[in-house]
Amino acid sequence: MQQFSRRAVLTQLGAAGLAFTLPQAAAAQNAYAELDDVPWFFLTDFEARFLAAFCDVLIPEDEFPSASQAGVVDFIDLQLASGYGKGAGLYMQGPFREGTAEQGYQADMVPAQLIRNFIAGALDQGQDLAIFGAERRESVVREFSEKSQIVGGTDAKMVFQELWSLTKEGYFGDPLYGGNRDYAGWRMVGFPGAHAYYTDFVDQNVRYDAPPKGIGHVPGTNRSASMGASAISRKDG
Amino acid sequence: MVTQLPKTDVVIVGAGWSGLAAAYELANAGQRCVVLERGKWRHTVTSFGAPEEHDELKYARRKEHMIDTPIKTLSFRNNSSETALPMRRLGSFLPGKGLGGAGIHWNGQLWRPLPSDLNMASHYSDRYGEEILNGLSVQDWGVSYDELEPHLDFFEKVCGTSGFAGNLNGDTVEGGNIFEGPRSDNYPTQPMNSSPPQQMFRNTARQMGYHPFQMPSANVTEAYENPYGAQLHSCTYCGFCERFGCGYMAKADPIICIYDVLKNHENFELRTEAHVLRVEKSADGKTATGVTYIDADGREVFQPADTICLNAYALWNVHLMLVSGLATPYDPLTGTGTVGRNYSYQTIAAASVFFDKEVWSNPFMGAGAMGVTIDDFNGDNFDHTDLGFVGGGYISATQTNGRPINYNPTPPGTPAWGREWKRAVRDNYLHHIGLTVHGSSVSVPQNYLDLDPTYVDDYGQPLLRMTFDFPENDRRMSSYVLSKAEEIGRNMDHVVDVGTVNRAAEGARYSVVPYQTTHNVGGAVMGTDPTTSVVNRYGQMWDHHNVFVFGACLFPQNLGYNPTGPLMGLAYWTLEHMKSDYLGNPRPLMDA
Amino acid sequence: MRQIQIAALVSVPLLLGIGLTAGAQDFSGGPDIQTLEDRLDNDSTAFNARVQQRPDDDLLELGRLVAMGGAANGGSGMACITCHGTDGHGDGSGAFPRLDGQPGWYLYKQLVDYANGARPNKVMSPIADRLTEHEMEAVAAYYGAMPTGTIPKHGEVPGTELQWGGQLSAVGSAEKGIPACVNCHGANGTGLAPSVPYLAGQYASYMELQLQLWKDGVRDNDAMNVMSSIARKMNENDMRAVSEYLSRVTTEEAQTGPDLAVSE
Repeated sequence: MQQFSRRAVLTQLGAAGLAFTLPQAAAAQNAYAELDDVPWFFLTDFEARFLAAFCDVLIPEDEFPSASQAGVVDFIDLQLASGYGKGAGLYMQGPFREGTAEQGYQADMVPAQLIRNFIAGALDQGQDLAIFGAERRESVVREFSEKSQIVGGTDAKMVFQELWSLTKEGYFGDPLYGGNRDYAGWRMVGFPGAHAYYTDFVDQNVRYDAPPKGIGHVPGTNRSASMGASAISRKDG
Repeated sequence: MVTQLPKTDVVIVGAGWSGLAAAYELANAGQRCVVLERGKWRHTVTSFGAPEEHDELKYARRKEHMIDTPIKTLSFRNNSSETALPMRRLGSFLPGKGLGGAGIHWNGQLWRPLPSDLNMASHYSDRYGEEILNGLSVQDWGVSYDELEPHLDFFEKVCGTSGFAGNLNGDTVEGGNIFEGPRSDNYPTQPMNSSPPQQMFRNTARQMGYHPFQMPSANVTEAYENPYGAQLHSCTYCGFCERFGCGYMAKADPIICIYDVLKNHENFELRTEAHVLRVEKSADGKTATGVTYIDADGREVFQPADTICLNAYALWNVHLMLVSGLATPYDPLTGTGTVGRNYSYQTIAAASVFFDKEVWSNPFMGAGAMGVTIDDFNGDNFDHTDLGFVGGGYISATQTNGRPINYNPTPPGTPAWGREWKRAVRDNYLHHIGLTVHGSSVSVPQNYLDLDPTYVDDYGQPLLRMTFDFPENDRRMSSYVLSKAEEIGRNMDHVVDVGTVNRAAEGARYSVVPYQTTHNVGGAVMGTDPTTSVVNRYGQMWDHHNVFVFGACLFPQNLGYNPTGPLMGLAYWTLEHMKSDYLGNPRPLMDA
Repeated sequence: MRQIQIAALVSVPLLLGIGLTAGAQDFSGGPDIQTLEDRLDNDSTAFNARVQQRPDDDLLELGRLVAMGGAANGGSGMACITCHGTDGHGDGSGAFPRLDGQPGWYLYKQLVDYANGARPNKVMSPIADRLTEHEMEAVAAYYGAMPTGTIPKHGEVPGTELQWGGQLSAVGSAEKGIPACVNCHGANGTGLAPSVPYLAGQYASYMELQLQLWKDGVRDNDAMNVMSSIARKMNENDMRAVSEYLSRVTTEEAQTGPDLAVSE
């Protein structure tokens, strides 16, 4: 039976990839443990690598985990496989026309298709971010964000914004959704999470370093349950 | 095949703040009321409990409590020369859905209009000369502050509003909002607490000669019983206010404040999952006969009624009038017609203040209406001579939340993403506050609502079409008031940097993408002249005397305040006249 | 209701009598300072135990001293452990609440309120009155740093009562306008440091009494009267149901085992 490892896929990032060089990031290495042997719900391996490289340009590794180390790719995978990817909250009746920037999302495809097409287009035009060095990766991503261009039939600037949005959500959203592993994002900024009662302290000029707890916090630990993990059927299932 | 039901006294479209208030008042006045709500039933206690409710992704980003655009949305363009396209995804404003409507996920910032706001046109003309209003379609409301005062007061009590009065029966009180209209009574609960940056804003504003006060708040600060007998509890400053329901029962919402004490009344019937398609008119068109709706099983049903109340969200009220052929639609080319005319919004800007490590803002400790505010640049509270605009806005150091997906402020010059961005986010997250500029919005002939020629909603009806951009007047106003906010920011202690954002900056077109406010107003304005208003000063349609309209769609232009307080003052004013005058003798209450 | 109150007041003099006439106290029980220090390596435990700042060895030593009945400046004249136990578990009767692992700031605030009359109590008020603020902080941090184990359950109650209690605790009652306990008291009632105590595993009779005291207005020391306004909406059945339910919920720590807080 073929063994699947998300971590193996995501670590194929070549030079300046997921370096795991810093000790604090090591904790996040365990982030793959829960979902590691679960095949992607939506992404292909190539898409997952591409996204890991892309998102790690947006939120790179420093004293705190990078986007992919915090589970952002797992988060995006789950999102694209579920309501958001399928177009929840999107009016998808035609006709579809190119609009002004002020008119927002006008693509004639749902986010999952949009992102899939964009990545395919990028790979087609030789922009396999995963194999580039750090500088080249950053400049390609910057081009996506600034230059008006069609990639894979999609508006690259608009897809950039969509991916940036997903990256922030994956880094800072409740860990239930697969990202923000071990509360990496919340610990970085100092956000205590879903359990909130501040009446006695709101007017105090003090540091309030409550360790973060999410909606599905596992009692007695520093971790949260994760939706992706609960969807697991074990290896030999 | 339409099912016809037995007639009821009153049919009310929409179970939000104004719909439930109408149902309470009219049911207790002996009127049999049927309330039709498109969305589902829910309850504050069981539907909005922590910690599940405290999910930023689900409620603030995926907007779980808001209208689903596949079911109901509108089309948008900046001006008539462009083609409107559907607003496919929510952004700039977030209408609600379900029992309680937007009243569930509002912030609770609860204001009154200034006396001069209500006769904006005559006030500015008298003080500065008519020319100051050139190019604008600003109008008087037709009702005065003194007439509304008891109703504004009543709604504040329904909500248990917390605050500190600045004008009690004509006497100004130091520490409150000295610009506010005279109040007959104090606020029902104590003012909210303030965070360290808010305390600093208060001190600096005072030193600069301004008049800071605690923002009036429907996040209740102590155990409270409202005039209807409903119980509210005190706010925990949990930082999950706007976009969320309040399981603590501390944010006034229509379910706890009204529905809970109304639900067993013999004259009250609520039908949820009932989508109103049309208001039906009599043969001679002078009255309405009832409404047609799609029920939960998808059947078309006609509910006849003697009196019809339109209490849907402001935009959907206008839409309903347009698809029902009520009154006459506005035509921007000829300037005739009234429905859809004078649509306006809110003009938002902000100064972003960054502190050194001595000041802990702890942004996650917040409440929807926890704010220290100055009104010195709102309305006509300051001299507009030679400024080139009318209107203004409040400046408020508001601390509503620190939810990290959306809240990651960085100083000016920080890149938009990447290594430096990441560092800047964590260096500044605990040491920042935003000073909101909540500016008014004038009406102009080229901003309006009508029906889209191309796109339809889930029920096959044409989408509402919105044509809107910020008028020049408001760009000048916003820039001016923002400069004042920035100045206060720079004068505060321990400040290392101040950034600014101005949605109505020169050259920035209005976009439906970034969130601004859910303050869509106008389109069915009230007034004393039927050629420029849809309803008379009692909220009664000129063209159909048994149709009463509620909500911010009545505003001829928008104030520098959040609309809920003023619109509910108008609602209770209308209800008063329905009960004491109209219902006993149905007829037009005003001559044209 | 009345019976419980009387029982609480009656049993104390008996224990006082025992305490004063017995020989040396047994101080051997309860966690030692090193164990508590080690526990503070865990972020959650450290945040839970702190009152004004992170507790250190000295503060914990002083706390233990106060708990044992003595202190530099005269002490309380009464050892906490006599009624609340060396492990903070109480004496099993439910007359005295367990203190182990409660948020330090909350415990501290209760002592302050006992002393200044904000929380009137014939037994605790004179005790708290004799403590200095620093001693209050110390003993609060000491108990706050303790591990929370399970305690023996009391009696049998009908399943329907537990079901109703569970509902009130987790979801509240729309009908009665009672918000769920977990809104403020933490997931499954396991507490929300620093302000809100855990209810999970607390004595049912103690909690039932407190609810009644809130309802009667005798206890009135919470911020903004939340507890009294909630308790007033509850009847005796509601109070008993939610108390019996929550007493049977394991504390946060006990859910995963006592050693976990030390390791990472």
